[in-house]
Amino acid sequence: MASASKKVKKAPKRRSDFWAVGKIDVPFLLLVITILTIGLVMLFSASYTYAYYERHGDSAFFFKRQLMFAIVGVIGMLLVSKVRYAYLRLFAVPLLILSWLLLVLVLFMPPPPGVPRNFHRWIVLGPINFQPSEIAKFAIILFCAWSMERNHRAMVGKSLNRSKISETIRELSGGKIVVYDSFVKMCMYAIVIVLTAGLVYLENHLSGTLLILCIGLVMMYLGEVKKRWFILVAVLGVAAVALVIFNPQLLEKYAGARITAWLDKSYDPRGARWQTNNSLYAIGSGGLFGVGLGNSKQKHLYVSEPQNDFIFAIVCEELGFIRAIGILLLYVLLVWRGVVIGLKAKDRFGALLAMGIVFQVGLQTALNIGVVTDALPNTGISLPFFSYGGTSLMMLLLEMGVVLGVSRYSRLEK
Amino acid sequence: MQLRPNKQTAKRAATAMLCLSLAFLYAMGGLFHAAIYKGEENRLKAERIQLSDTQIAAQRGTVYDSNMKVLAKSASAWLVYINPSKIKTNEQMELTVRGLCDILGVDEETVRAKASKNKSGYQKIAGEVENDKKLELKEYIKEHGTKKGDLHTIIGIDPDTKRYYPYSSFASTIIGFTDSDDKGVGGIEMQYNDALTGTSGRIITAKNAKMGAMSSEYETTYDAKPGESLVLTIDEVVQYYLEQSLEQAMIDTGAKYAYGVIMDVKTGAVLGMTSKPDFDLNQPRKISSKALSDAISAMTDEEEKKKSTGEALFSQWRNRAISDTYEPGSVFKTVVAAAALEEGVVDLNTTYNCTGSIQVANWTQHCWKREGHGHEDLTQGLMNSCNPFFITIGQKLGKENFYKYFDAFGFTEKTNIDLPAEAKPVPGVTYHTLDQMGISQLSSSSFGQTFQVTPIQMITAINTIANGGKLMQPYVVDARLDQDGNVIQRTEPIVKRQVVSEKTASTVAGMMEKVVSIGTGKNAYVAGYHVAGKTGTSQKLNTDDKYIASFAGFAPANNPRISVLIAIDEPAGVHGGGAIAAPIAGLLIEKVMNYLNVEPQYDDKEVTTISTVAPPLVGLSVGDAKVRGAKFKINVIGNGPTVLSQTPKSGQQMKNGGVVVVYTEENAERKTATVPDLCNLSMTDANQKAISAGFNIRISGNVNSGEVLSYQQSLPAGSEAEIGSVITVNFKSDVNVQDG
Repeated sequence: MASASKKVKKAPKRRSDFWAVGKIDVPFLLLVITILTIGLVMLFSASYTYAYYERHGDSAFFFKRQLMFAIVGVIGMLLVSKVRYAYLRLFAVPLLILSWLLLVLVLFMPPPPGVPRNFHRWIVLGPINFQPSEIAKFAIILFCAWSMERNHRAMVGKSLNRSKISETIRELSGGKIVVYDSFVKMCMYAIVIVLTAGLVYLENHLSGTLLILCIGLVMMYLGEVKKRWFILVAVLGVAAVALVIFNPQLLEKYAGARITAWLDKSYDPRGARWQTNNSLYAIGSGGLFGVGLGNSKQKHLYVSEPQNDFIFAIVCEELGFIRAIGILLLYVLLVWRGVVIGLKAKDRFGALLAMGIVFQVGLQTALNIGVVTDALPNTGISLPFFSYGGTSLMMLLLEMGVVLGVSRYSRLEK
Repeated sequence: MQLRPNKQTAKRAATAMLCLSLAFLYAMGGLFHAAIYKGEENRLKAERIQLSDTQIAAQRGTVYDSNMKVLAKSASAWLVYINPSKIKTNEQMELTVRGLCDILGVDEETVRAKASKNKSGYQKIAGEVENDKKLELKEYIKEHGTKKGDLHTIIGIDPDTKRYYPYSSFASTIIGFTDSDDKGVGGIEMQYNDALTGTSGRIITAKNAKMGAMSSEYETTYDAKPGESLVLTIDEVVQYYLEQSLEQAMIDTGAKYAYGVIMDVKTGAVLGMTSKPDFDLNQPRKISSKALSDAISAMTDEEEKKKSTGEALFSQWRNRAISDTYEPGSVFKTVVAAAALEEGVVDLNTTYNCTGSIQVANWTQHCWKREGHGHEDLTQGLMNSCNPFFITIGQKLGKENFYKYFDAFGFTEKTNIDLPAEAKPVPGVTYHTLDQMGISQLSSSSFGQTFQVTPIQMITAINTIANGGKLMQPYVVDARLDQDGNVIQRTEPIVKRQVVSEKTASTVAGMMEKVVSIGTGKNAYVAGYHVAGKTGTSQKLNTDDKYIASFAGFAPANNPRISVLIAIDEPAGVHGGGAIAAPIAGLLIEKVMNYLNVEPQYDDKEVTTISTVAPPLVGLSVGDAKVRGAKFKINVIGNGPTVLSQTPKSGQQMKNGGVVVVYTEENAERKTATVPDLCNLSMTDANQKAISAGFNIRISGNVNSGEVLSYQQSLPAGSEAEIGSVITVNFKSDVNVQDG
């Protein structure tokens, strides 16, 4: 692999094998910093009442921690962007396996205080706790990017699979059933993705499961799995969604109530719909122009944990609809820029990596806004760069660093 | 292997980007829906849960009597509430419930139920908590709790107000009371509720979801404007006399109810008004009659119990002086006399020969005196309360004139006294309209029957005669004061109209004085005060043996100051107005006139026979004192040379020939003796008996007719009293006091 990367290297000044050369994409960096800054400010605004009550009067508790992680994260991001991303290929398989191990391990970890017993999302390491599903998301992207680059020809070509099983099937069926390489690869990716998603599902983490499935789907699509399979997936997906919507009891109790609560707007207003209703009240209070930074009333313990999944409701209340749309456009720009970086990348690995990462951010954002505005069931999904969570923010920034790293080799006008 | 992303990649990326954009559009659509489309709705819902709009009750105004004695006052009290959402442990629950129950005496089950509502942030436990209880509770909160100060977050105390009525049942039917929301539900409290209430203030505070108020920058305050205070025309002393005499009358006559009004003649201001039995304003929902409340507690049927309790409460709250109607009976003859004199159909010289009955249309109306009154003039007719005479007067007057004066004296309208629940006259039901009035109706109406009036209407009409023919609008609120005690508005007496001329009025007044001095009203006589009045006895509607005995009058006849109505409703034994209502009125008028400092004007006869005053002997030598007090029996106690003190005191009313005890030594012990029973004696006998026991008497009541007997004495028989003391003895007559 190392020799392969040497072959395509075009950098005129060769300083070292390890450090990347080329300039990073400034628009992308600016977008990241802008969104991060707004996110930090809004986190402080949204969290100070909650922090005051829940953290013994330390109104800045969440902000201070988040800021610390943001600073470390930005430094980490710049460092990562400086490393040649080609080295990441080395981690594709180990990271995937590590994330699976962590996902299994987490099932045996006691949840942090205040979290229901059957929720196993966090691994607590001293003062830090993190979600293995965050790592799994990146692991899937990295693995797919690496593997799909390698298997590209097999995936898009019409070569027959030469494995024994495939041969046997073909012979037994009298040549009627032909197993192509593309199909085998597709199956392999599907199994990896579904397996990972399944492990996350065991954590009792529905939104994480869905996100991983979506990311996997995007990766498979970008990796040029045959289109017919997506049609099949779309049909199955629609059927599954319909099934769940009309039979909420099929999902486990917790998620089921949330779907019922989404469909029936008057369902359990003090329980299942409390968060959503208060989120809507906050958004409505903001109107077009907002009540002004810091002036949210809904953050005063109405929107529960306003620094987490529902932070965007407070953003809407304080900054108003127009600015909220502006923030969403920043995310769209971020994704778009990431896609551009990917498409101009020097190899498929970089392309898939950058696009996968930004699509992950985009998907998560869209899902979060959908939940906050009651356009989707309340699944508990955080808003990138805004929601509180140190390790997840750091992870996110490191991923941004990867995109920036890819951008160094992109043929962009810089 | 190292492929650059190709066109196919770009196409796929573009499709994915498109899908993501659609997802974003969907999310933005959701945002638009929540922020703009349903924005207003959501905003209002948010406000509803965010704002805590607290009413600050304005201090309710004070009610004063005419001497600025406080009759009703709101004082600061406390409201205790809990925040059940803060109760986390069983121990906290127990401490909370225990403290509240033990200190406030509230029902444990109720408190427990409220404390269990763990999603609630506010549950009221008790209002109108007094300060000592509040302090006790504060102490408890400080000392108990599972950890420092945790009860403090659970139990809260807010300012509240409590209405106090310092005189309990005093003037209760006039003052009225307030409900738990500080809203007046009867009497003045109800009539003047808006003025008394003031404007409550508001604090609009943003609150957080745990009901905690947030910092004050989110707060808007509208100050409360305290309610106005009221100064009543009710005079505490007059009211006290009135209530005392009616309470006594209830006991003496066994009556079911008794009511009375005392009015200032010139203005129509009500100085006293009561309706017995009444109730304790501080406990309006307690049945004041013990017998009745016992009977109700003994009931087993819950439904019946509830109903009876309700009836008993409404009955004791009812101000019968304005809400009840009754047939005025003979009292109404004064009105007929005034009308007839005014119209000139009779004069003082008009005579009539009462044979004991009179034929009216197809029926015979008997006079109450079957053998007839014989030949009588107008004054005698009124004195005798002769029904046939007044039937002829009414007939002479004619129905048009009768109705004209009936209307003019205010019997067809409310008096518009500023009290709630005044009964409204109903044409054709409570009185005969002009169209309905035939000869029978006219005839019976002429002696006060077949129609009904309220006591307040009757006294207002009588007051018109006292007031030179001017009909006044009665009122009980004299002035409204702002919070600093400045008069905002003073009630100007309202002359509704001149009903009869001053001359007619004074003629009738003269006749009424005769009624009291030598007629059926003689038991209301008070020496020196020229009481004028008329008695009445009327059967209650649809009953055989239930009566209302009444007396209406005024004093002094030549320059009236007060008018009085006394009605005894359903007396158990004797039911004549002259027999039972007049003596009460007489005693009452005497006390009130004394209190009002009206100088008695004795005529010559009264001066000589009734009383004199004790001579001033203090400072004189014993010898001089004996000379100075030659008309009295001087009883010298001690061996000193000069008189140091005396009983009775100089200037006190007593009879000639009475005992004056003089003390000549410093710190001499006062001598006492047993008070004799002075009842059922003639005036002379009573005097003799008192003097021989070492006491004096002062005569009260009618002394013009020979056959008076004492019936009441101011110091109880058998009690020890200082010798020389003056015992007021009341005399009344049982002869010729019947009034039909």
